[in-house]
Amino acid sequence: MRRVLIVEDSNAVRTFVRGALEDEDFQRAVGGFDVLEAASGFEAMALMPRGPFACIVTDINMGDINGLEIVNFVRKSEHHRETPVVIISTQSSSRDIERGLSLGANAYLPKPFSAVALQDVVRQLVAPGEG
Amino acid sequence: MADFGSESSEKKEEFFSEAQEIVDGLGKFLLDLEGAVAASRVDPDVINEMFRAVHTLKGIAGLFGATRMSGMSHELENMLDDVRMGRLDLTSNVIDLLFKAVDLYTHILLFERGEAPDPQQEIAKLLASFAAVTQPEEAPTSNIFTQFDLDPGMFGVLTEYEEHRLKSNIESGLALFRLRVRFNLTVLDTALEDLKKKAKPLGEIITYLPAPSTDESDFENLELDILMASKSDAATIDTTLSVEGLVVNPVKRRSGGGPPPKAAAAPVSKSPLPKIGAPPSLPPPTIAGPARLPQDLAPESHAAHGAKSVRPAAPAHAARTSVAPQAQGQAGQFVGKSAAQTTVRVDIRKLDRLMTILGELAIVRSAVGRLAERLRGSVEHRELGTDLHRLHRTFERQLGQMQNGILEVRMVQLGPVFDKLQRGLRAISREYSRPVNLVITGQETEIDKLIVEELSDPLMHMVRNAFDHGIEIVEDRLKVGKPEVGTIALNAFQKGNHVVIEVEDDGRGMDPKLIIASAIRKGVITEDESREMSARDAYRLVFMPGFSTKTVVTDLSGRGVGLDVVKTNIAKLGGIVDVTSEVGIGTKMTITLPVTLAIINVLIVEIGGRSFAIPLASVEEAFVYDPSLTRNVEGREVLSLRGQSLPICHLSSLFQVDAFDDASDSTRKFYVVTVAVGIRRLGLLVDRLEGQQDIVIKPLGRSLKSVHGFAGAAELGDQRVALVLDVAAIVEEVLAGDQSRFLAMAGEGRA
Amino acid sequence: MADIVRSPGRDLRRANDGGKRIEYLAFTLGSQIYAVPIQHIAEILKPPPITEIPRAPRNVVGIISVRGKLVTVVDLRRRFGLVESPFDRRTRILLTDTGDDEPIGLLVDEVRQVYRLAEHEIEPAAALGGDQPAYIFGIGRQDDALLVLLELKALIES
Repeated sequence: MRRVLIVEDSNAVRTFVRGALEDEDFQRAVGGFDVLEAASGFEAMALMPRGPFACIVTDINMGDINGLEIVNFVRKSEHHRETPVVIISTQSSSRDIERGLSLGANAYLPKPFSAVALQDVVRQLVAPGEG
Repeated sequence: MADFGSESSEKKEEFFSEAQEIVDGLGKFLLDLEGAVAASRVDPDVINEMFRAVHTLKGIAGLFGATRMSGMSHELENMLDDVRMGRLDLTSNVIDLLFKAVDLYTHILLFERGEAPDPQQEIAKLLASFAAVTQPEEAPTSNIFTQFDLDPGMFGVLTEYEEHRLKSNIESGLALFRLRVRFNLTVLDTALEDLKKKAKPLGEIITYLPAPSTDESDFENLELDILMASKSDAATIDTTLSVEGLVVNPVKRRSGGGPPPKAAAAPVSKSPLPKIGAPPSLPPPTIAGPARLPQDLAPESHAAHGAKSVRPAAPAHAARTSVAPQAQGQAGQFVGKSAAQTTVRVDIRKLDRLMTILGELAIVRSAVGRLAERLRGSVEHRELGTDLHRLHRTFERQLGQMQNGILEVRMVQLGPVFDKLQRGLRAISREYSRPVNLVITGQETEIDKLIVEELSDPLMHMVRNAFDHGIEIVEDRLKVGKPEVGTIALNAFQKGNHVVIEVEDDGRGMDPKLIIASAIRKGVITEDESREMSARDAYRLVFMPGFSTKTVVTDLSGRGVGLDVVKTNIAKLGGIVDVTSEVGIGTKMTITLPVTLAIINVLIVEIGGRSFAIPLASVEEAFVYDPSLTRNVEGREVLSLRGQSLPICHLSSLFQVDAFDDASDSTRKFYVVTVAVGIRRLGLLVDRLEGQQDIVIKPLGRSLKSVHGFAGAAELGDQRVALVLDVAAIVEEVLAGDQSRFLAMAGEGRA
Repeated sequence: MADIVRSPGRDLRRANDGGKRIEYLAFTLGSQIYAVPIQHIAEILKPPPITEIPRAPRNVVGIISVRGKLVTVVDLRRRFGLVESPFDRRTRILLTDTGDDEPIGLLVDEVRQVYRLAEHEIEPAAALGGDQPAYIFGIGRQDDALLVLLELKALIES
């Protein structure tokens, strides 16, 4: 079973992202996966061994381990370097988004985004042949 | 008002409760901040926390379409960003504005709930005030970082804020250190808090970086690189932090200016990101058609969104001219009525305590009732008695309402449990490439929170069982003309004071003969015992310890249990499991549970001079016992009632208490109380019916756990305590004993 | 605790004898005096109406409600294999408090007084001769009285 990891310190955003990714039609379209949630960078690191992930969706502005560090870790990691990473963040942190992309994130979505927008991005990243 | 569209009310609640939590937190931070400013000792962490809080608020407001809130958050975030980056001083004016903003948030939340007028004007005024305090000059960017020999790998992952903190620490003349530490993941939280606490007096931790060199086959430990600014030296840091395996390396200062660090990206770039896609200097994101990505599909967004330009050229404020000192004005009056009052999280033990108090109140109520009756009976106080009686009735009614109110709070929907089952089943279905649909009805059915918590494991097990033993592989299904995709239905509904949950599959069904044969093979029953068994008896065998062919480790619980454990766990909740099946058509397992565990309406009966309580939820009827209508069927007394047979249980003999239970004494009347659990019925013979009462049921102590047949006990008032019958257990015990010994064993085996 | 007869003067004098002293609450069953560490007794109750539990273990008299909590009452006479006696005005229930175990009511004939015993005033249970059950941990001697000292945990759990 493929898995997607959400790293985000807001419960509401996590719930929203999970909802979008667990949408039945969407799951059918991409072949289905489980969603794992991390409420901080540390939780994400603790969940890393449970990968590989089909995709990682991460916020940037988090205390302690930030999203850039997650991106950096993933790209340098033996096991995760191929994993697509989507940054979700607000535009005001444009400098950070820029840096995230240069560190190897595949896409970013400015908050607020719609469920459909997120699904589109993830679909293209996890199943390049489709859509 | 926020348009949640098809979002469930649960998500909406999640939004409101998180938003309110954040706003409350902001208020607290502000008070701290005000004190800190007065003492000129501002902790940069507090400002950063506030920034992050507003940032989060903006994010969730945007997702949930609360445009007023995201609009204001956007500007507030910019202002706080300026503060934390040192571009804006924390003047008392700025702090005032922050307080106003927090007040306004509360107003906005009320508006989003439809409980307050649109605060748009107030927001416009406040935003105008923001613009007025923002200082126009951009802080010059100096390349102070070149003083240090920073690892570009570490430097390149700093967020803008972290970079700023690094800069101000360097400017204050602090030295930089790179710490390498290894934490066990299981104790990460506490170890980290501990480290932070010890590090605080020494300086500031800029960032934590998971070391890319971490041994990835090591699932237990996480290696971290920590960048820290401190006025101490490496040795002091080492001894103060005293973490096992800690390595502290000073970051070398370069002699002279030196070349800038080779950071992955230009570290001081302040240019805002072009709207969509990647800036020319960056490798393009590997996503097809980036133009489709961000905003096009975003929901209708607030005015400021998308129009962001280099700050602080004031954002698009319509009402810029009216910089109003009264900006707070109207918003202020909503402060007392916080939106948080509409959702609180309550420890269920507090509700239990309230319930106990309510039980005591009910006892007072009956005492008052008796007093009123006495007064009414006396000549000189009759009028007083009538007044008291009226008061008593009002008291009674309101007590009842209060009880229902508390019970309602305990109730939660089954939906989340069902969602979990759905996820679980989807995983199993994929794992075994056996397609199956989970059809759910009645997810809005409500049940006691305590019951819900105990339900998910047994239900998962039953669903898993339906999948493993019910749903056939695709070829087999096609052969018998069934649709390729199997169906497991999960239905919940309320039935009186019970909640019924059915797990039904359209699989191969169970063959009673095969079950019996298998049970004999496994030594669960003997061949003799099997002879008299009906199909129903056979189905029940699947709940016997030792019958389960394989113990299944559910993904959710991680524990391997047989169906016998499912039955025991359901019984602990006062429920019962029943099975019906048809070969080739499917199997249905039905759980019947009480709606709540806390308070129950009971019928008080007398047996041998002692009072017992029978939960009314299980009582069908009560009538006078007529021995002439009974006959003896295989050692069991059976009463013919409206053409149906009702097995009779003499409770006095079951409980071994002396009773006037002498059926030959034709002058004495006895009563039969018909109880039903699931589809099984039993007539309980009692001496007398005393009446109905609401009771708070309390568990018997551990020392009595070996005693069967009682769900607990309750106070009836006047210091009397009555045992509450565990009807499910008694029905099980009595009826099981009927046909074969092995089912009596099942009765003994239950908790 | 009105039933407990304390003799503070005497106790104080003993306390100066040296060594750690523990307070024991003494009660009678028939002609024998027993004692339990008083820190494990939360309350002494006059028996309220007791609700019998059908099919309960023989030692259990029933349950009572103590301020809203159900407490199982054990008849120590039955527990020790003595002949049962009817309740009278001296009958009491000792409510235990051993920390982790649930509180239990111990039905006794009569509550006597509190003794303060030093370790050297306690003899091992074997002094009674033969094999003694685990819940008897020693014998105390005071003023010609012979106290059978009980270990509550063992008493309740067995």
